[in-house]
Amino acid sequence: MDLSFLLAGTGKTMTSFFSMTYLFAFLPVCLIVYAVTPKKAKKYVLLAESLLFFWLVSGALVLYLILSAVSVFCFGLWLDKLQQKQKTALKGLPKEEKKAAKQKHLRKQRAVLALGVLIHIGMLLVLKYSEFFLGNINSILSAFNCPFRMYIPKFIMPVGISFFTLQAVSYITDVYHGLIAADRNFPRILLFMSFFPQIVEGPICRYGQTAEQLWNVGQIKYRSLTFGLQRILFGMMKKIVVADRLDPLVKKVFDEPNSFDGGVIILAAVCYTVQLYMDFSGSMDAVLGTAEIFGVKLPENFQRPFFSRSVSEFWKRWHITLGAWFKDYIFYPVTSSKRMKNLTSSARKKLGNHYGPLAAGGIALFCVWWCNGLWHGAGWNFIFFGMYHFVLILSGNLIEPLVKPINNKLHIKTDSAGYKVFQIIRTTILVIIGELFFRANGIASGMQLFGRIFSDLTFRSFDGGLLYRLGVDRYDLIIAAVTVVIVFIISILNEKCISIREALEKKSLVFRWCILYVLILYIVVFGAYSFGYIPVDPMYAQF
Amino acid sequence: MERLIEILEDIQPDVDYKNCTDLIDGHFLNSLDIISLIAELEDEYDITIPAIEIIPDNFNSAERIMKMIERLQEED
Repeated sequence: MDLSFLLAGTGKTMTSFFSMTYLFAFLPVCLIVYAVTPKKAKKYVLLAESLLFFWLVSGALVLYLILSAVSVFCFGLWLDKLQQKQKTALKGLPKEEKKAAKQKHLRKQRAVLALGVLIHIGMLLVLKYSEFFLGNINSILSAFNCPFRMYIPKFIMPVGISFFTLQAVSYITDVYHGLIAADRNFPRILLFMSFFPQIVEGPICRYGQTAEQLWNVGQIKYRSLTFGLQRILFGMMKKIVVADRLDPLVKKVFDEPNSFDGGVIILAAVCYTVQLYMDFSGSMDAVLGTAEIFGVKLPENFQRPFFSRSVSEFWKRWHITLGAWFKDYIFYPVTSSKRMKNLTSSARKKLGNHYGPLAAGGIALFCVWWCNGLWHGAGWNFIFFGMYHFVLILSGNLIEPLVKPINNKLHIKTDSAGYKVFQIIRTTILVIIGELFFRANGIASGMQLFGRIFSDLTFRSFDGGLLYRLGVDRYDLIIAAVTVVIVFIISILNEKCISIREALEKKSLVFRWCILYVLILYIVVFGAYSFGYIPVDPMYAQF
Repeated sequence: MERLIEILEDIQPDVDYKNCTDLIDGHFLNSLDIISLIAELEDEYDITIPAIEIIPDNFNSAERIMKMIERLQEED
């Protein structure tokens, strides 16, 4: 009997929250088992289901996740022990001795923190980036005609490693700073690290946000069940009706950068941006909806990013938990380091209030965007993507003092609707350019595609047979466009703080079910899963 | 408190620091102002503000900033 599947897992059949296996087998069975379990044991069932999910997806690599949680647990206790020791040692000491003694204790704690972070980030670097780094070293060696080559090992990566590693680092850091107490309950830490809806694509949660909620889960309530299912359905519409439908077109153009003119490349770049948003935010709807069924409120990852008036604002609304992680664990630690503080103080005296802190802020911003690019993938195009945003945000800050006088001189009303729309369109165009490089198969290919937009800006490819060549038809684009309009209208309502689900709750049962049936039918009829469509893996699961 | 308000006004004038309670949430202070403010506060009050203290709740009003300073002075 072949038992290799025990080690390998089922792989891709489960990573998508909209796959038949997940949606019609795994999730319902999980919910039923959870619902019939006595209240006291529910958290353990949730933990078992989470580990089962991870094993089904990644097989024996579930051990890596468990070991990560063990490590996080131990580092928390180690830091806690040192902190207790510090407390006892400092008790009763005179103030002048206290400061020096505290520094001595803090040094030890910093060393433990550094070791913990190094182990987790180090493992991520080895598993995810060694091929990239060693490959680059080999290219350099080859450029210098050196016969020596580095051996490039191939590693299998546990699914969601980029997400749960950041959670692990945030836990250890938060314990170090005394923001949370070290947890002495290992299953609770393991559940915080492994909760199955969020393990593949996030959101990246902090211990303080979710650990207690997950450990205190109770009965499934009718309201949370309906709200959760509605959100999953909405996410499914975004993913299956729009994102997956646009996939063949995007793939074709990006795989053949020389085959199409500028007009088609613009179309593909726009479609890819739409696809990425619908895919990732749709998956997040499924994740948050599933968590909601269990009564768990996970942090939101999107807040209508395409209403942003600047690139900087866009990144506060897109993949929010990743941005917040970089802000809290990279940006502020870098800017508040002693050297940077000295730099800020001296630069402020010379350069004034705006440009003074920009020196330290710029260095921290560079670190954030370098890491952000690299986090998304081991490739130069991802680093380019990060640097592109670094340059945009830094230039925005550099020219900010000049913009106000220019606007005043030109009598531009910055609070007028027209100006806001201009800013939104400008931001969207800049984002689409960034996504073009993000999706391209390498920087050279990205440059080629971007260059053709200007060197070959014709629309001749649109004459006859183009859509067939792109692997889509007219109806694909019409259906995708109509659905985007529906999502856009809902986004406008959400932006005005109107909750569709709460409004629907106040309507009669018949009306509610009519709406739900329409949504289900819409997905069934227009979803891209029939003959000719290849199921598309969740895009952020690859990161 | 008066010295703190002086520091704040030096970094970002035109804000009513005595009454404003949403300095961060209302976007009166941006991240660059916070970078300057932290450097100034550490010098002025001989404290260390760790990155983890940089949360809106600690910086939303002059009163909240003062409370954080006093707490950090006590901890030191």
